[in-house]
Amino acid sequence: MTKTLRGAFAALACSTLLASPALAELTGDLKIFLDTSNPAPRATMEKMIADFQEAHPDLNIETTVIDREAYKTQIRNFLTANAPDVANWYAANRMKPFVDAGLFEDVSDLWAEAEIADNLASTKGAMTIDGKQWGVPYTYYQWGVYYRKDIYDDLGLSEPTDWDSFKANCQAIVDSGKACFTIGTKYLWTAGGWFDYLNMRTNGFDFHMALAAGEVSWEDERVKQTFANWRELIDMGAFIDNHQTYSWQEALPFMVQGDAAGYLMGNFAVAPLREAGLTDDQLDFYQFPAINPDVELAEDAPTDTFHIPANATNKEAAREFLRFVVSADVQTEINNGKNLGQLPVNAASMVDDDKFLNEGFKMLSSNSPGGVAQFWDRDAPAEMAKVSMEGFQEFMVKPDNLDRILAKLERARQRIYK
Amino acid sequence: MFPRPIEKSTPAARVAYKTLLPVALLFWLLPLLAVAVFSVKPDADFTSGNYWGWPSSFEALNNYGKVFFASDMPRYLLNSVLITVPTVIGAVALSTMTGFALGIYKFRGNLLIFFMFIAGNFVPFQILMVPVRDLTLEMGLYNTKTGLVLFHIAFQTGFCTLFMRNFIRALPFELIEAARVEGVSEIRIFRYVVLPLMRPAIAALSVLIFTFIWNDYFWAVVLTQGAESQPVTAGITSFNAQYRAAYHLMSAGSIVAALPPVLMFFLMQRHFIAGLTLGAVK
Repeated sequence: MTKTLRGAFAALACSTLLASPALAELTGDLKIFLDTSNPAPRATMEKMIADFQEAHPDLNIETTVIDREAYKTQIRNFLTANAPDVANWYAANRMKPFVDAGLFEDVSDLWAEAEIADNLASTKGAMTIDGKQWGVPYTYYQWGVYYRKDIYDDLGLSEPTDWDSFKANCQAIVDSGKACFTIGTKYLWTAGGWFDYLNMRTNGFDFHMALAAGEVSWEDERVKQTFANWRELIDMGAFIDNHQTYSWQEALPFMVQGDAAGYLMGNFAVAPLREAGLTDDQLDFYQFPAINPDVELAEDAPTDTFHIPANATNKEAAREFLRFVVSADVQTEINNGKNLGQLPVNAASMVDDDKFLNEGFKMLSSNSPGGVAQFWDRDAPAEMAKVSMEGFQEFMVKPDNLDRILAKLERARQRIYK
Repeated sequence: MFPRPIEKSTPAARVAYKTLLPVALLFWLLPLLAVAVFSVKPDADFTSGNYWGWPSSFEALNNYGKVFFASDMPRYLLNSVLITVPTVIGAVALSTMTGFALGIYKFRGNLLIFFMFIAGNFVPFQILMVPVRDLTLEMGLYNTKTGLVLFHIAFQTGFCTLFMRNFIRALPFELIEAARVEGVSEIRIFRYVVLPLMRPAIAALSVLIFTFIWNDYFWAVVLTQGAESQPVTAGITSFNAQYRAAYHLMSAGSIVAALPPVLMFFLMQRHFIAGLTLGAVK
């Protein structure tokens, strides 16, 4: 049955191909390098590539899966020396070094096609450098506040809609003897998430990106306002104590045991929380509310991407593969709960019947007009991200040191962005 | 100087000793016990903060099953064997020969060469990290088991030579002289006179080097990457998924990885203790 359906599709595809002579049958080799070395994502990718192979039987596809960590160092080598036709990577600042070095192919032509231009608008910004697009996304996930609905209900609270109700909720939770938020800043990046949201809500997406790009001073009054907002939460006792000693996973028990009512985190936190016994009635999600009503809402949604190396040999087939990856059906398939369990990048895709994926998909497709950030340690250069996240952690423990911390970050900015 | 037997101390001291010893032992073993207990707990126990309590369910079969059948762990274990065994053979074989040469023959520079072997032991191996990595990269041995084995042999031979040379020095020299008088060639003296006498030293050294190399983490991380070449010590980290560390599987994996040296120790306990004292006293 599926066979015949596929056959019909193939026939249909052939007939359309015949109609447009520019798209001749794909031949030759297509070398694909992947870093999806964990078993589940690996199987997903291999299945997807097998489907592509079936649609293009004359193409000789060769897939290489490299260990995720090793890939990060090897990519520098293979993009210059022994380039595949397609390679996966990350969006925004993480792809900038390769774009600047001329190692990624400009694929703005793909983004000009109606199918992609209309359906992938939410991630276009993340793929754009110097006004051109350098790849396509294939999956992403949302960030936001995951909270214990049962605790909110007990205290008679509801999801906050603005900064005042956010703080009022928090005060009520603190008064009941709990912490509003659990967080583990031992590995720093979790504090980066808080900074992302507080700064994007206080000063807006564009300012946030300018700061990540080193165009704004860390001692700017607007940055100080972000930290002043943050300090209100710290002084209130919003965060759990001794958070600098926990990893993000070690901070989960506070939420499970009900000592903390919420967690600003990525969607990957849902799986362990469910396994620990929290039901969907107890666990809920809300978008980080507006602080400054004059700036548009923007979200963190780290995006994984496919690129064509500039030195690729079979760029025509590579482009067709990229079109295939972002098409609505493939996006629905690879991001469903059985596969990646994340969000499809194509607005015409279907999302699994999962409460959190649905909320995230809706939020990112329609309620993030400001833009989509990639997360602080992907948006800022690695060195600046490290120094600044150390500063965020110190600030969360000793808020009185703020002036010294900002002076240090400003010195680092002068040095790093030369 | 020598510790007095506990039977000779006052009764109060004896009682204190007997009660404190198990307590100290328990504290000492607590981290290991925690790992052992975690290896039979479900993942959810970590997320719900049940670090020290009774497991909410027993997942020993599940966890260890995953380690053996749903991960690259068997591959890593095999790599460990393929790295450790050749290293033991190589290092021990080379050092019996160098030990023989340095222990038996008197030639100029003997002591100097011997000191150079010893001096190698005093180089903190961390400072070799970058040059050795570059070297293996240039030789095309980076990320191969061969590269790791060759480096381990080179680095361990220093210590082994010290050990072997001192052992051979302690052998009665008359045996060798007698053989020479009989007109036995030097190579046959090594093969038929010295080598049989060195059996205890070889056994002790093999056990020692086996545990050293099996437990090596530093060079495994520096010189290899990925399941095709990494030994089990480095492979345990592969239980870290993209977002989450699977502590229950890492615990189970650690237990599995720790078993061969422990087993080796119990089987060869006699040689092991002999090995630790053999080189030290002389």
